[in-house]
Amino acid sequence: MTRSGRLAGAGAVVRRRLLVAVPVLAATSVGMFALGAASPVDPAKQYAGAAAFTASEENLAQLRANWGVDDPLPVQYLRWISNLVQGDLGWSTSRHEPVASVLAARAGWTLLLIGVSLALVLVASLLLGALAAYRRGGLFDRALRAAAYAVQSMPVFWLGLAAIAVFALALGWLPAGGLTDVTATSTSWPDVAHHLILPVAVLAVSQAPWFVLFVRDAVAESMRDDHVLAARARGLPGRTVLFGHALRTALLPFLTLVGTHLPELVGGAVLVETVFSLPGLGAVTVAAALGSDFPLLAAITLVTTAVVLAANLATDLAYAAADPRVRLDG
Amino acid sequence: MTRMRPTFRRLVASTAAAGMLVLVGCSAPADPDGSSGGATLVVATSDEPDALNPVLNYGVDGASLIFDGLVSRDDDNRLVAGLATALPELSPDGRTVTAKLRDGVQFHDGTALTAQDVVFTYQAVLDPTVDSTLRSDLDMVESVTAPDAATVVFRLRYPYAPFVQRLTLGIVPAKLLSGQDINTAGFNRKPIGTGPYRIDSWTPGDRLVLTANERYFGGRPKNNRVVVAFVADDNVRAQRMRAGEFDAAELPPKLASGFDADTTFRVQRVPTADYRGVMLPTGNPVLADPAVRRALNLAVDRAAMVTGLLGGAGEPAFGPIPPTSEFADPSIIGKPTADPRAAEGLLDAAGWTQGPGGVRVKDGRPARFTLMYPASDTLRKDLALAVTADAKKVGIEVTPAGLTWDAIDPRMKSDALLMGYGTPYDPDFVSYKLFGSRFAGQGYFNPGSYRSEVTDRALQEGRDQIDPALRKAAYAQFQKQLAADVPWLFLTYLRHTYVLKSSVQGVVPRVEAHEHGVANSLWWNIDTWTRS
Amino acid sequence: MADLAARPPLLQVARSRLRLRPGRAGAVTAGLVLLVAIAGSLLAPLVWPLDQSAVALDQTRLAPSWSHLAGTDDLGRDVAHRAVYGLRVSLLVGAVAALVATVLGGVVGGIAGTLGGRVDRILMRIVDTIAAMPHLLLGIFIVAMLRPSLGAVIASVGLTHWLSTARIVRSELLSLRTRPFIDAAISGGAGRLRVLTRHLLPHVLPRLALATTLMIPHAVWHETALSFLGLGLPPHLASLGNMINDGQGSLLTGAWWASLAPGGVIVVVTLAIAVLAARWRDRLDPRVRAELHL
Repeated sequence: MTRSGRLAGAGAVVRRRLLVAVPVLAATSVGMFALGAASPVDPAKQYAGAAAFTASEENLAQLRANWGVDDPLPVQYLRWISNLVQGDLGWSTSRHEPVASVLAARAGWTLLLIGVSLALVLVASLLLGALAAYRRGGLFDRALRAAAYAVQSMPVFWLGLAAIAVFALALGWLPAGGLTDVTATSTSWPDVAHHLILPVAVLAVSQAPWFVLFVRDAVAESMRDDHVLAARARGLPGRTVLFGHALRTALLPFLTLVGTHLPELVGGAVLVETVFSLPGLGAVTVAAALGSDFPLLAAITLVTTAVVLAANLATDLAYAAADPRVRLDG
Repeated sequence: MTRMRPTFRRLVASTAAAGMLVLVGCSAPADPDGSSGGATLVVATSDEPDALNPVLNYGVDGASLIFDGLVSRDDDNRLVAGLATALPELSPDGRTVTAKLRDGVQFHDGTALTAQDVVFTYQAVLDPTVDSTLRSDLDMVESVTAPDAATVVFRLRYPYAPFVQRLTLGIVPAKLLSGQDINTAGFNRKPIGTGPYRIDSWTPGDRLVLTANERYFGGRPKNNRVVVAFVADDNVRAQRMRAGEFDAAELPPKLASGFDADTTFRVQRVPTADYRGVMLPTGNPVLADPAVRRALNLAVDRAAMVTGLLGGAGEPAFGPIPPTSEFADPSIIGKPTADPRAAEGLLDAAGWTQGPGGVRVKDGRPARFTLMYPASDTLRKDLALAVTADAKKVGIEVTPAGLTWDAIDPRMKSDALLMGYGTPYDPDFVSYKLFGSRFAGQGYFNPGSYRSEVTDRALQEGRDQIDPALRKAAYAQFQKQLAADVPWLFLTYLRHTYVLKSSVQGVVPRVEAHEHGVANSLWWNIDTWTRS
Repeated sequence: MADLAARPPLLQVARSRLRLRPGRAGAVTAGLVLLVAIAGSLLAPLVWPLDQSAVALDQTRLAPSWSHLAGTDDLGRDVAHRAVYGLRVSLLVGAVAALVATVLGGVVGGIAGTLGGRVDRILMRIVDTIAAMPHLLLGIFIVAMLRPSLGAVIASVGLTHWLSTARIVRSELLSLRTRPFIDAAISGGAGRLRVLTRHLLPHVLPRLALATTLMIPHAVWHETALSFLGLGLPPHLASLGNMINDGQGSLLTGAWWASLAPGGVIVVVTLAIAVLAARWRDRLDPRVRAELHL
C-alpha cells in the first residue's frame, strides 16, 4: 500500500472526530457558561478592581449596563457563543483588552515552553528508559526508577523554587525568572534561550518520570517479542538489539500516548510560568481566575482543549501513516 | 542490522544538539546594551496597571511618569504647579477654579498641549459611557470649559475645599482619543502624554519600558530609560532582586528585612497613610454594643502586630488620619500594647459575663462574631488571626473567614471585615464617604452603616470651609468622635518597604497612599535618579 | 529455527524480571506509613486538637526543637502540628474527590462496558475529548467560578479525574464479556442484572479500588497546586498547599523548616502510595497504566 493509500480514510476519520468533538465542546461551553452565570461574581466590581472601593453604586451600575450583563442568560450565552464561533473571543475583564489579543501575545511563549520541554523529555526518556530496560534490575535501572518515583511525588512548583535557589541564587549561573534580560531593548533569541533553560529543565524533569517509566516498561516488554528475542539469540550486539529492535517496536505506541499526556504538560506549564514569572498563558490564567474573568478563562480552556484534540488527531494520523498495521478507528 | 545503527546515532546527535542549545544560551551576553553607565534603571512591582490611561484610573494622584496633571506634588506632598503656570485657586465662593496653562508644553508626539486637552480629559471621566471609576470623585464638577487655548475653568455644583487636589489627574491628548471608544482604545496600551517618560513598549505580564522625554518641560530626566518589571509573586521578586536584576523593588517587610545585612542593598521603609483596620458593622448584634467595640480597641496588641507581622515596618494606628498629616489630632494616640484588664473591666461593666468555654455572654447571647478577610492578602490574613487571638484573651470569640471580595460583599452589613485605605493628601478624600451616614451600606463606602451626627457635621464642615484653621478644627472633632464610637478597629499604619541597590542615588521617599504601583511609589521622582 | 528452542526459558526470565517490584519490606514499610498517616489524620482531633486560628506572635520562626519538632512558622504556629492537620485535609480532599470520580467514572465506564457496541464507541469518544482538557485549567476555572473553598476544590478534582476510572472499568468489563464463565452464566439463564452484580462486579471492584487509591496522590497534588496559586482553601486553614505557600517566603528569610514538614509529608505519602501501587500495576494493561500516569 502506498502512503497516500493508507491515509485515504483520513478525511472520514477527521469528520468522525469532529462529529464528536464539536458537540462535546459545545456542551462544555454551555456547562462553563452556566457555571459562570451561577457564579456570584459581579463582573463590574471585578472590572473596577481596587477602584471598586472608591467607585459609587451608580458608577458600577452604569458599567454593568455598558456591557449588557443584565440581559437574560440565554441571550448572553447566544451572544457569547455566536461571537466565539465568528472568532471574537470576547473582552477580558481582568486584562482590559480583547481575549484574542491576550492569547496572541502570550500563547506563543507557552507553546515554546511546552514544545521545547516535550522534545527534551522525549529524547531523554527514550534514551534513559531504553537503557534502564536493557539492564532491568541493574544499578542504573534501580537508581532511575527511584529518582523517577521521588520526582513524581514532588510538586512542580517545589522543583522550580529549588532550581531557582540553587542555580540562580547560590550559583548565579542562570536568571531567576523573566523572559529576557530586564534591561534588554528587544527580544533576542539567545537572551530568551538563556532565560528558558531553567523553566524548560524544571518542566521537563517534572514530567519525565511518567515518560521514562513508560518507555522502560514498553521496551522491557518488547524485549521479549519474537523478533527481538531472535535477534538476541543470533548474538547481535546488545546496543543493536536494544535501539535497533526493542526501542523501535516500543516507539510507535509510545508516541501516540504522548498525546494523552499533553493536558498534564499544560498544567505543569501553568505552574512553571508562575514560578518563573514568564509572560505566558499560565500567569494570565491565574490572574483571570483570581479576578473571575469568565471570557478569558473560558476561552483559554476551550482553545487549549481544541489544540490538544488537534494534536492527538495529528499523532494518530501520523501513526497510521507510519504503521500499515494500524487501522484508523471510528 | 546496520540499518538500525543510525537510529541510535540520531538520538545521540539530537541530544547533543539540545545540549549545544543550552550551552549557546549560557554564553549569551546578559547585558546586551552595556547599560553599566546607569543609563537604564529597573524597578520591580507586583501591581500591573490594566490600562495606562489616567481617565481609566492610571496614576490618578500624579507621579505617573508618563502624564502630568495641572498640579503635582513635591517631596512633602505639597501641591505645586504642574501643567498650570501657578497653583490654581478656588474662588471665594468655593465654586470656581481657573487654571492657566504653561506655555510650550508638548505631548510625546510633538503636538502642543492646549486647554482643549484638559477639558477633554475631565469630560471623558464624567462621560457615563466611559468605564471610569473616578467619576464619583469628580461628582462636584458641573462644567469644564476653555475660554481660550491657555485657560481652563472648572465650575462646581457645591463648594469643595480640596478641589485643587483633584487636579493631579494626568492630561491626555484630545486629538488621539476624541470620537473613539475610550474603554477599548489602543491608546490605553501605548499612550501619549506630556510626562518625563514616553512609552517604548509594554509587554503585559512582563515589563513596561519607558524612555526619557527629551522635551520634558520640567527638564530632561537624568537617565535614559526606566524599565518597570511586573513580578506578581513576592518571593520571586525577592529572589530576582537578590540576583541583582533590579535597581529597586517593592517587597513585603519580612522579605525586605532579609536584605538588611547586605551592604550592596539598602532597605527603605517609607511612611504611609496606608492603614489596616477592622470595620465593625453596626448590623451585628454583638458589635452593635459600643462596649464590645471599645473593649476590642483596648484588647488588641498593636505593638506586637507591628513587630511580629510587619517586622517593625509600621506604626500603631488609632484613627484614619495618619500622624504625618497636618490634620492629625495629637489626642488620638492610644496605648500601643494591649490592656486586657481594662477591656475586661469594660465588658464586665456592660453586663458581658464570663460564660461557658471562656466566651462571654450577655442576655443569653455569646460574644461571638465572624471576621472576614480577603483570601489573597497575606497581611490581612495575619492581622485577622492576631485580632482573633487577642479577642480570645478577653472572652470574645472571633471566627476568621478568608473569602474572595464577591463573597465578602453581601456580608459586610453584619460581619466584621479587615479593610485597608488611606491617603496622605486630604482628610476629605476617603473619610467623607467611609464614615458619612449618607453613604451607609453603599458598597465599600461605610459598609457597616456607621451613623453619627457629630461625625457627619464635622466631615461636611471640613469639605465646605476653605479656611485651613477651621478645617483643622473640624477634622479634630471628627477624629475624637471616631475614637469614642470605634466604628473601626484601627490596627496599623504600614510602611511600604523597598529594597534598592546601594548604588542608586537621588531617592527621596515621601509619604505614600494606600494605592501605589507604577505610579506613586518610591520611584515617583525616578527622573532624577542616577547610579554611582 | 535454532533460536526458537531457546525461547521458553528466555521468556520466563524476561517475565520474572520484567518489572522489578519493590521488595516485600518496601511494601510493608509503605503500608505502615500509609496506615500511620490515615490513623493519625483520623485521630488527631481527639488526641491533639488544633485551634486553626491561633497565633503566637512572641514565638515566631523558632527552629525545630523538642517543644516544636518541626519548628514554628511566621505566625508562631507549630509546623508539625499543622502538618498533621494539613495531611488530614489533603487526604479528605483526596478521598472525597476520588470517590466522586469513582462514582462518575464507574457509571460511565459501566454503561460503556456492559452495553458495548455503538454506545461504547460514542461514550469513549466523549471521554477522549474531555480528557483533552487540561485538568489544572478546568480545575482553575471551576474554582474561580465557585469561589475557592473546600467544596470547590473537591469538585474541581473529582470532576476532572473520573476519565481514567471510566476507561479502566470499561476495558475490564469488555474483556470479561468474552470470558467463558460469563457466556456460561448467560446461557444458564441468568438475567443481565444478575450477571452484572454476581459475576462482573466482583471482578471489577478490585481494579476500581486500585484506581481510586491511585487517584489520592493526584488529588493531593491538585489541592497543593491550587493553594499554591492562591485558589485553594482559605489561607488560614492548615492545608499542605497553604503551608508550602506560606513557607516559601520563610525559605528566603532563613526559616527553611516552615515548608520542610508539609513538603516532606506530601513526598512520603505519595511515595508510599506509589510503592504500594507498583506491586499491583502489572495487573493492569499498559493503556490503563498510562491513563493513571504511573
